[in-house]
Parts: sequence; C-alpha cells; structure tokens
Amino acid sequence: MLIGNPLNSSELAFPVLECIHILAFAFSAGTAAIVDLRLIGIGMTDQSPSDLWKDTSLWTLLGLIVVVFSGLLLFSSDPDNYYLNYAFLLKMACLLLAVVHNYTAVRKAASGAATPANGRLVGSVALFFWACVVFGGIFIGFLNSTLDSRRV
Amino acid sequence: MILEFAQWLQATALFTGLRGSAYLYPVVLSLHMVIIAFFGGMVLLTNLRLLGLSMSRYPAGAVLERFRLPKRYALIAMLVLGFLLFGCKAEEYYYNVWFRAKLILLLLIGVNYLIFRGSIYNNTAALDRAVPSSAKLAAALSLILWAGVVCAGRGIGYIEPPLDKIHAGLHCAPHAALYSRSGVRRLV
Repeated sequence: MLIGNPLNSSELAFPVLECIHILAFAFSAGTAAIVDLRLIGIGMTDQSPSDLWKDTSLWTLLGLIVVVFSGLLLFSSDPDNYYLNYAFLLKMACLLLAVVHNYTAVRKAASGAATPANGRLVGSVALFFWACVVFGGIFIGFLNSTLDSRRV
Repeated sequence: MILEFAQWLQATALFTGLRGSAYLYPVVLSLHMVIIAFFGGMVLLTNLRLLGLSMSRYPAGAVLERFRLPKRYALIAMLVLGFLLFGCKAEEYYYNVWFRAKLILLLLIGVNYLIFRGSIYNNTAALDRAVPSSAKLAAALSLILWAGVVCAGRGIGYIEPPLDKIHAGLHCAPHAALYSRSGVRRLV
C-alpha cells in the first residue's frame, strides 16, 4: 500500500469505531423503529404518529449521520474486501431502502396521510429493512469475500 | 465449578449443533443485534426524556410507563439469544475478559434499577409532575452502562481464545472471510 490508512496502523481504531457504529445504529434504527411500531399499533399508542416523528426524528438523523460516517471509515480499512462481499452489498442495498423508505413512506404515513392498514404495511416494511441491514452487517464476517477468486 | 458448568453446557446436543451450523449461529447473532437496536432506541428515548432532552411534550412518567413492557420483552429476548450465543462457546467465554466485563456491567444495571426502583421507576405519578435530579442521575448512569454493555459485547470477539485450555474445537462457523491481521473476525 502506497498510502497507509491510519485505521490500519492502530490496533484500537477498528474496534472503537465498531462500538461507535453499533451504538449509533441502535440509536438511529431504534428511534426510527419506535415510529414504525407505532404505525403498526404497538408501543407508544397514546401519542400520535406525527408527534412521535417530531420527537424522534432529530435523534434518528443524528444517529444516521454518525453511523454512516463511522461506517465509511470502517469500510476504508479494507475496501475491496468489503466491496466483494455479498453480505456487504446486501447491507448497502437494504440501508438505502431503509433510509429512503423512512424519509418517504414512513414520514408520509406518520403525518397522518395513511389509513391504519397502510400504516401497518409501511411500518412492517420499515422494520424489515432495518433488520436486513443488521443481518447483512453480521453476515459480512461469516461469508467468504469473492476477493480471493478475483485477485490475481 | 463455573468452568465445569461451561464445559458441560457447550457439550450439550443443542449447543454442539448450534456451534457446528454455518448459518444458524450468525442468524442468532443477527437477531440479538436487531433486538439491541430496538431496545437501544427505547432506552435512549426514556433516558433522554428523564434528562429533559427529548419527548418533552409528554409527561416523563407516561413515557416510562409506555416503554416499560416493550423494553421488558426486548430484554428477555436479548437475554435468551445472548444465552444461546454464550452456550456455543461457554468455555471460551469463561476466560474472556470482555465477557466478564459485560456481565459486571449488566449486574450494575440491575443495581442501578434496584436503587432507583422505588423512588423513580415505580413512582411515575410523581415523575409526571416533576423530574427530580436523582432521576437524571439514574438516566445518565443507565445510558453510560448500556453503552458500556454494547462495547464490552463487541470486545468479546477481539479476545483470542486460550486454545491450550479449551476442549472443544470451537470456531463456530467454518466460513470466515474478514479477519484482521490478529485473526479477529470483523463484523459490521
């Protein structure tokens, strides 16, 4: 490597970043899930979905910013290995779907524009996407990267 | 005695099978993490409410009440899934310093709950009127301790198992791609 990534010269950098990444994910997806569960009819049923959205959205957004930036740093430690890992690609696709879904369908449903049946569907799909992101992340470490078969 | 229990546990048919399964183990681990995310969101919001930083349009006691049951279900699910993960490598975990740290932190969370149970957690009617500074202390402690649990949990994977002391061939899944130079499986 011509230019060393400082992440790879420290034993501690990767695990510490991982902790930040996991915590930020728990906070972003966890606060988003409270709105999703409310749309399904579970949890904070005393509150209206639009009030819940207003109360959680700042924390969801802050968490997402931290999770994406810490994720980019983690990715930078070994980009080709991640890029050639199917679990990582699945994770990125699900992350994109989860975020887009959250800021389009969920936001709209939470604003009161959806019927209860629609809300349940939108909330369930959102929870499914977030769960898929986690599964993708864990399976990165359990699937073989296709790197070895492609590297000359 | 604990060591003998750990050795017996991981040798049971359930955990031998789970350890040997290429996909079941990561699925259990993923579910554990999914619940952590959902649980983490609820812990964050209840504690932020006690600290006065979020959900201020609702009374603090009401927020505590509404999240109580979902948090309990999530906690039980996390503990069951966590026990399944532990059982796979019980002997290795016995020696793992981060696993011990995690257990101690969980114990401290229990102590934190017991200390403030009467005055705060079961006293939600009073919280609806005003949040005392002791509740803010409890909330800050809870946030710090839970964050510590997550970090200790991640730390578990970074400890090399003392292979000279361990009986079973323990590496759970045969597929392992992302190892750092020190041989640690990289997740996330």
